[in-house]
Amino acid sequence: MNNTRRQFLTDTGAGFGALACAHLLANDAQATPRTLENGLHHPAKVKRVVQLFMNGGASPMDTFDPKPALTKLHGQKFDPGGGQKVESVTGSPGFKVLKSPFAFKQHGQCGRWVSSVFPRVAGVVDDLTFLMSMVSKSNVHGLASYMQNTGFTMPGFPCMGAWISYALGRISDELPAFVVMPDAKGLPYNNQGNFTAGFLPAQHQGTLVKASAPNPIAHLHPPRDANFITPQGEQAGRSLLDQLNRDHAARHPGDSRLEARMASYELAARMQLSAPSLFDLKGESAATRQLYGLDDKVTGDFGRRCLLARRMLERGVRFVQVWSGPGGPANNWDNHGNIHKELPYIANQVDRPIAALIRDLKARGMLEDTLVVWTTEFGRMPFSQGTAGRDHNGGTFVTWLAGGGLKPGVAFGQSDEWGWKAVEPIWCYDLHATILHLMGIDHTRLTFRHNGIDRRLTDVHGHVLYDVLA
Amino acid sequence: MQITRTLILTCLAAVAFSASVRAGIDYDRDIRPILSQKCFHCHGPDAESRKANLRLDTRDGYLAEIDGVRAVVPGKPQSSELYRRITTGDDHERMPPRKSKLSLTKREIDLLRQWIEQGAAWSEHWSLRKLVRPTVPKVDAAGRAWSRNAVDRFVWARLAERGLTPSSESDKRTLIRRVTFNLIGLPPTPEEVDAFLADQSHDAYERVVDRLLASPRYGERWARHWMDLVHYADTHGHDEDAIREHAWPYRDYLIDSFNSDKPYARFVQDQIAGDVLFPDDPQGVVAVGMLAAGPWDESSQMGIKDGTTDKIVAQYLERDDMIATVMNTFVSMTVHCARCHHHKFDPISIEDYYSLQAVFAGVDRTDRPYDRDAETIRKRRELLREQAELERGNTPRAGLLSADVQKRVAVWEQRFRATGGDWRVVRPASVTSTGNATATKLDDGSILFAGDRPDKDTYTIMTRVTSERVTAVRLEVLTDDRLPQNGPGRQDNGNLHLSEFKLLVNGQRVALHKPVADFNQGGWTIAHALDGNLKSAWGIFPQVGQSHEAVFELKEPVDASAGVTLTFVLEQLHGGGHLIGRPRMSVTGAVKPRLGVGVHAAISDILQVDASKRKDAQKAALALHLLKSENAAAIAALPKPSRVYSIASDFKRNGNFVPAKAPRPIHVLRRGNVLTPIKPATPGALSCVEGVESRFTIRDHQSEGERRAALGRWVSDRDNVLTWRSIVNRVWHYHFGRGIVATPSDFGRNGSPPTHPQLLDWLAVTFRESGGSLKRLHRLIVTSATYRQSSQHNAKYAAVDRDNHFLWRMNRRRLDAESMRDAVLAMSGRMILKMGGPSDRLFVTGKGVHVTPTVDYDKVDIDGDHARRRSVYRFIFRTVPDPLMEALDCPDASQFTPKRVASVTPLQALAMLNNRFVVRYCEHMAKQIETEYENRPAQVRRLFMLAYGRPPTDKESRAVAAYADRHGFANTCRVIVNSNEFAFVN
Repeated sequence: MNNTRRQFLTDTGAGFGALACAHLLANDAQATPRTLENGLHHPAKVKRVVQLFMNGGASPMDTFDPKPALTKLHGQKFDPGGGQKVESVTGSPGFKVLKSPFAFKQHGQCGRWVSSVFPRVAGVVDDLTFLMSMVSKSNVHGLASYMQNTGFTMPGFPCMGAWISYALGRISDELPAFVVMPDAKGLPYNNQGNFTAGFLPAQHQGTLVKASAPNPIAHLHPPRDANFITPQGEQAGRSLLDQLNRDHAARHPGDSRLEARMASYELAARMQLSAPSLFDLKGESAATRQLYGLDDKVTGDFGRRCLLARRMLERGVRFVQVWSGPGGPANNWDNHGNIHKELPYIANQVDRPIAALIRDLKARGMLEDTLVVWTTEFGRMPFSQGTAGRDHNGGTFVTWLAGGGLKPGVAFGQSDEWGWKAVEPIWCYDLHATILHLMGIDHTRLTFRHNGIDRRLTDVHGHVLYDVLA
Repeated sequence: MQITRTLILTCLAAVAFSASVRAGIDYDRDIRPILSQKCFHCHGPDAESRKANLRLDTRDGYLAEIDGVRAVVPGKPQSSELYRRITTGDDHERMPPRKSKLSLTKREIDLLRQWIEQGAAWSEHWSLRKLVRPTVPKVDAAGRAWSRNAVDRFVWARLAERGLTPSSESDKRTLIRRVTFNLIGLPPTPEEVDAFLADQSHDAYERVVDRLLASPRYGERWARHWMDLVHYADTHGHDEDAIREHAWPYRDYLIDSFNSDKPYARFVQDQIAGDVLFPDDPQGVVAVGMLAAGPWDESSQMGIKDGTTDKIVAQYLERDDMIATVMNTFVSMTVHCARCHHHKFDPISIEDYYSLQAVFAGVDRTDRPYDRDAETIRKRRELLREQAELERGNTPRAGLLSADVQKRVAVWEQRFRATGGDWRVVRPASVTSTGNATATKLDDGSILFAGDRPDKDTYTIMTRVTSERVTAVRLEVLTDDRLPQNGPGRQDNGNLHLSEFKLLVNGQRVALHKPVADFNQGGWTIAHALDGNLKSAWGIFPQVGQSHEAVFELKEPVDASAGVTLTFVLEQLHGGGHLIGRPRMSVTGAVKPRLGVGVHAAISDILQVDASKRKDAQKAALALHLLKSENAAAIAALPKPSRVYSIASDFKRNGNFVPAKAPRPIHVLRRGNVLTPIKPATPGALSCVEGVESRFTIRDHQSEGERRAALGRWVSDRDNVLTWRSIVNRVWHYHFGRGIVATPSDFGRNGSPPTHPQLLDWLAVTFRESGGSLKRLHRLIVTSATYRQSSQHNAKYAAVDRDNHFLWRMNRRRLDAESMRDAVLAMSGRMILKMGGPSDRLFVTGKGVHVTPTVDYDKVDIDGDHARRRSVYRFIFRTVPDPLMEALDCPDASQFTPKRVASVTPLQALAMLNNRFVVRYCEHMAKQIETEYENRPAQVRRLFMLAYGRPPTDKESRAVAAYADRHGFANTCRVIVNSNEFAFVN
């Protein structure tokens, strides 16, 4: 099996094996599409993933998890009873029950409840599968973001996109396997730490795409001020380089790394040719622009990134991560001050584009083997911070999935009557195990030896959520 | 992957198998790897998860009779339960059980059978075995002829066992390029290559080695390796990735230590407890920067209150990182498995792990001041001792009332009054809050506001004052640990906003002017408190956690000799809970009132009493105050200390980041959960290392330093077999690209076994007996015939030992990120060799959305001096890595990196082609060469010599020159630095 060989080489590699491995990896991806179609350990239901990450901690009780009890208890001191300790990380006074200022209605055939902050997502609710009681080990942004992305609260562990790249390799020769598009306003908490390959080889690192920058991908083209670089010079330079390298390889036989490195320059040239067309949206119809809200100031940035995500998936990127909101205490989902004002501000940016992405993927027949994941690092408290805000709460939050292999329009898991803690906790390990499962990977068998331990995305935990699988 | 592991084992076993036919079964090599990977999980050192009470990791364990059966009966596989269970056809009985997803291969089963047949011998795990100097193997005449030193005899002997022989010696050009990159991380200059070629003396190579080891560039190269091991960076990492302005002194300590060839035991002790063990050495505090090198979770440590679960977890993980830094780096043991349970594979107990947690119980990462010379260190220590005594308050009354001291008091008092500092703290008579805050009057004259925090509030403070006159009033806003971020404000971030300040004398508002404050928030100056505009205000962010003060002068001084009622009105109407937490008011009659000379209310009160009427107790109090001031002044007069990002047990509180002062209580935790402590843990280390006491004797349990000192001694002990094996293996790894043990930071049972166990031990003992000289170790290794071999392929030998485990040739290696960048820089002729000092920022920063600034690598002036120093001085931004270095596999310092990966990706190719730095320095390189050499062939020759250490062939010269003629020499340089011959070292 390819992967066996891959892992073997990596494991034995002090430098040496790992290099040979990289070479074979490049070839594997081209030579064995059948394996990739079928998954690594069992037949795959989905081929690609787009993850929409709401940075800051999206409030469940103001979006998808209505809590009538909060309306009843509004203004009273929060007391879950039984002498349970109520903690709040930023430690501000408050602790008075805060009802949601938003109206909830049932939507679609399935009748799932959605609040007024997501009018358009409510329109595709029949395509969504809800996980109602996700939990986090931490109530701190950095740690909780690491946890949802890598399964660990500490930095330095590979994120899910990197693991998937490592397991399944590239589909396309022209684009990387794993792409990340942060918010135009800034990187999320942990900056690029959330997209890291950690101890996995560097080719599995998330490729950062700055969707609204003039040069979206680093190093794709020479610096603008380097006038001495010309297309003719580049072409002739590539063939001179190739000639020097071939002579060198002939003098140094038996070292596959030399050929691998030569091949990487050919791939680079192909990437340079094809990447610009990815960002050229001229071919998209007016209806599509309208659907994603590209020409609207509020939805423009997130909409453009959702549309680019769809284009990337079409062109063979395996895992795309799209972030909503920068790090920091404002302009994201971290609504400490006033949930009534702050939540609609950020939700309006994503509501239309998300609904557009689901509808677009569906219209193109791609939703069948694509997985859309909407998630965040934790939820928010049922009681107030100050007078109208909500503090961090790892106790329970909502994630939803859409796409191949899932039961649509259903909800799994349950939070308590206040939305304070999960009654049936679902961990990131379970979510990750389920996503890997859909991609044909047994999460207990996807391992990499680092510092004396066979590391997994799911650590030593994780249960596939068979209840939500079709 | 498990399937994978099977395959690795199969291959390793294949090697082992062919050997075993000749040499018999070796437990360590053939059996332990099988048992540890397939059986120890349920039948290993962890008693809690042990099944059927059967233990296979000790001889007593597998020979024991349990319920009438014995797992192993030496010599009799058929009577051995172990053999029966691994061969039975019964699914329910077969081991390993199906649900473990583990299985044994036929070859493994064969090995186990042979092992039992041959008597089932057991031996201690290789890394924990007593360290004795092995005899250098006897080799045949050919081996003797080839060998240059003892290293070679060990290598030859292992090759001979497999019917292999070494490769021929490399040519001189290859040799000098290899050893120069290895020892100093730079390419040899063309002049150095030519000189070496011209030197026909027998020790020409040895002299090159000596030159390189004596070069300051050596320390720069090897410090960088060490920075990988300890995950050094210049920012915190995590969510709030703030800049560490003072991390670099530790980096400079490393460079100096390597260059001065510091004895290894001292190097170890320095970095674990240099501040305690060598208090007079200015570098002691700097060296323990190792413990602080890793990431720090500012958001949890500073933002979250002490005592909450998230905070306790943050502190626990903080210590875990320090433990891992020390244990991975120095003894190559991965102890973190024992956080939740006894280690499954290695004899590391959960008690061992938490005893290490107890070692670091009293420290946190923070900037720490240190004196640069021994004399200042001594003086400061003396003054601080005196300060502690004065604070204790035991100073004898007689001394305080002595004529000498009282005379000094009089002089001080006079000067104090003359400098406009005679502020008199006024004690409030009544206090009101429109926001219904609870006001508590404190001893020192201040008022603490607590209770529900409203959005806005106005405090009205009334008092009665009798004094000659009042010229100014002062508002102090004081810190208090009951306030968020320690105050002085009541806002979550510790800030406050004073919209308007008013003074009433006998109920009549009086005019104020000349407002001054010791600190003003940007855009929120003290002038706003008198501008009559309720929207503007005085604020103090980001200087929270510190007291501040503001002074307002009366336009017309007030005569208060008959006593007046003063009313202070503090309007805080900006909103958002920006309220003052603990104000204190003072008045003065000074003509020129000043900031910053406040005294405690008690002293202020005494100063109001006429000197001749003071009681002895009052005189003594003033004298004590004077002595404290003098002491403080003497401390302030010492040379300003430097700062290093290091560890400390006591430091100035910063928000919710509070010093431990004494060790925090540490418990053994059930499954690593801070909410389920089992029992208290005491300081210690690993009990599996025999001959070194693993439970520390600590005299003063309040002293955290003693604990670290004990760990420093434990690690550096002569008898700590792990320490000495670990370091020689690391050095070997960096020279050959693969250690004798291929897992340099994992000497446990799941790590790789040594390919040359005898050589490893010989090197360890030789190194230790040499006094721990790394330079002598390098010399020994790089002058060996083994190191000098060619890296050329040999199909026949590759068939026997494909990955060159037994060193029948040298390994060809790709340059690491720093060597690649430094080589380009050196070739451009623009490298600056300035050593040390603050890290070079190869990016520009802007205001970020929160704590972390924006980091832009594209906008920095790439021609500036900061871009021209060696990469070891590069500023490492943990969560926003340099795109060039990242593409070349430079780790981001979140994790320990005992060995670099050398990946091959299209993005890496693009980085080497198009990165600004590479492009620009190729331009410089071209300009430099074109200036020095006129004709094209000479230019091409020079470029080849710089990049490859050899001249071009005629064919190459023609092709390259033709390209240069058409597309310019800068593009030519780009082609060359992208070529394989440049990127790889033979």
